[in-house]
Amino acid sequence: MNLERLPNEEKLTLCRKYYLGGFACLPFLWLVNVVWFFKEAFVKPTYTEQTQIKTYVKRSALGLLLWVTVLTTWITIYQHFRAQWGEVGDYLSFTIPLGTP
Amino acid sequence: MNTSDSDEDAYNERTALVQSESPVVPSYRPDPGPGPAEESKGAGISRRSRPGVDGGESDQEVDAEEEELPLKYGAKHVIMLFIPVTLCMVVVVATIKSVSFYSEKTNQQLIYTPFTEDTQNVGRRLLNSVLNTIIMISVIVVMTILLVVLYKYRCYRFIHGWLILSSLMLLFWFSFMYLGEVFKTYNVAVDYPTVAMIIWNFGAVGMICIHWKGPLQLQQAYLILISALMALVFIKYLPEWSAWVILGAISIYDLVAVLSPKGPLRMLVETAQERNEPIFPALIYSSAMMWTVGMASSTDAQRSETDEEAEQNDRRAEPRSQQPRAVSEDELEEERGVKLGLGDFIFYSVLVGKAAATGGDWNTTIACFVAILIGLCLTLLLLAIFKKALPALPISITFGLIFYFSTDFLVQPFMDNLANHQFYI
Repeated sequence: MNLERLPNEEKLTLCRKYYLGGFACLPFLWLVNVVWFFKEAFVKPTYTEQTQIKTYVKRSALGLLLWVTVLTTWITIYQHFRAQWGEVGDYLSFTIPLGTP
Repeated sequence: MNTSDSDEDAYNERTALVQSESPVVPSYRPDPGPGPAEESKGAGISRRSRPGVDGGESDQEVDAEEEELPLKYGAKHVIMLFIPVTLCMVVVVATIKSVSFYSEKTNQQLIYTPFTEDTQNVGRRLLNSVLNTIIMISVIVVMTILLVVLYKYRCYRFIHGWLILSSLMLLFWFSFMYLGEVFKTYNVAVDYPTVAMIIWNFGAVGMICIHWKGPLQLQQAYLILISALMALVFIKYLPEWSAWVILGAISIYDLVAVLSPKGPLRMLVETAQERNEPIFPALIYSSAMMWTVGMASSTDAQRSETDEEAEQNDRRAEPRSQQPRAVSEDELEEERGVKLGLGDFIFYSVLVGKAAATGGDWNTTIACFVAILIGLCLTLLLLAIFKKALPALPISITFGLIFYFSTDFLVQPFMDNLANHQFYI
């Protein structure tokens, strides 16, 4: 799908759909939104829908940042304290490494 | 029908003459299923866009000056296909070499290959593999015919649902298994919430990209990844000798199904051409976007069959081109792309992956890799000459098989002996 040949309204709807979709715990979708529409929002010469696309891209970037922080924090906590948590740690684990930590 | 922009082709007589290498390689879709589920294979035929009826003028004067073009496009097309095929094979070989799960012997077999290869007798083993192959190929033939029938009677929603179900399973279930095995191999601890987030994001964005709209590179990457996942499942669950016989038999089937007048794939292609419909984007890998202003495009329809539970892959290669209308005053841009069905990716990767898993060392793997690329080159060349749908499997698989067996049994011991005696040639 090439953004070049889409009319501006369709670009806006696509950007909005990607933005709304990211709320379903999909930071990856927000990342795709940011990367894909970055040129459209910030590099291209102005057109009517561009301001709205800009807001969507900015908000997607914000949401993405938030999710990245949350996930990094959780992963750090988990990796650090997993052995100490005992049974709860095992219950949470998908894979448990072999050998002594 | 789900259509993505990339499937629009504009094709008219001018284009037909100009691009001499626009034949389409039919795609072949196998549908393997995971261990618990059955796998199915579908064969798809790729079609290429039929010549448009726009403008009846002849292009003789264009012919001479544009004779240079086909060559230039040809090389570019070949490279455009080399890269994804290579990437897919690299992913498969890397996984095979590092994650031992996929090359471990397992007693569990797919229900499509019920005969075991655990017997002592060589003849018995051979017989079992041939029987397995017969069963597998019949399943594929049945699936293909079912698909043709469904398509002929316009049961589009059923086909769509099937496609979505199979890509769902591939994107979520197989990648979950794959991720688990990778983590176990590297001995890292991962918790369920993180895994859930990863798989959910990967799968959901994959579904969106493949079945709806998404950036082209991301769509290509997802198609490569799911082909690699499918190939890995095949490598794991097909018994040794059966896999090689199946590869050979499928190439022959592909040849027959696409080229013979009564072949199911050919009928699919022709029906789709008549109806001027695009192919399902989930089944084909397209390497470029085409765009034009005010251009009607005829699309190639491609069909692949799928198993109820498995995903379907199409294999076909198809150059797409657009031709500006003679009357249009806008500046029209042309970009050609090539399409290859996903089944081709899968079987190429199965061949190379099996060579990596069971062959001697890297010599065999690289030999098979080179053989497949050479076969792909030749297929594209034939495509340029014949300008019609061609099967992408036979030449590459034949070369691959020849190279595998000869390297494994002739070249490898030779090189080992030379190395043992420190004799450098």
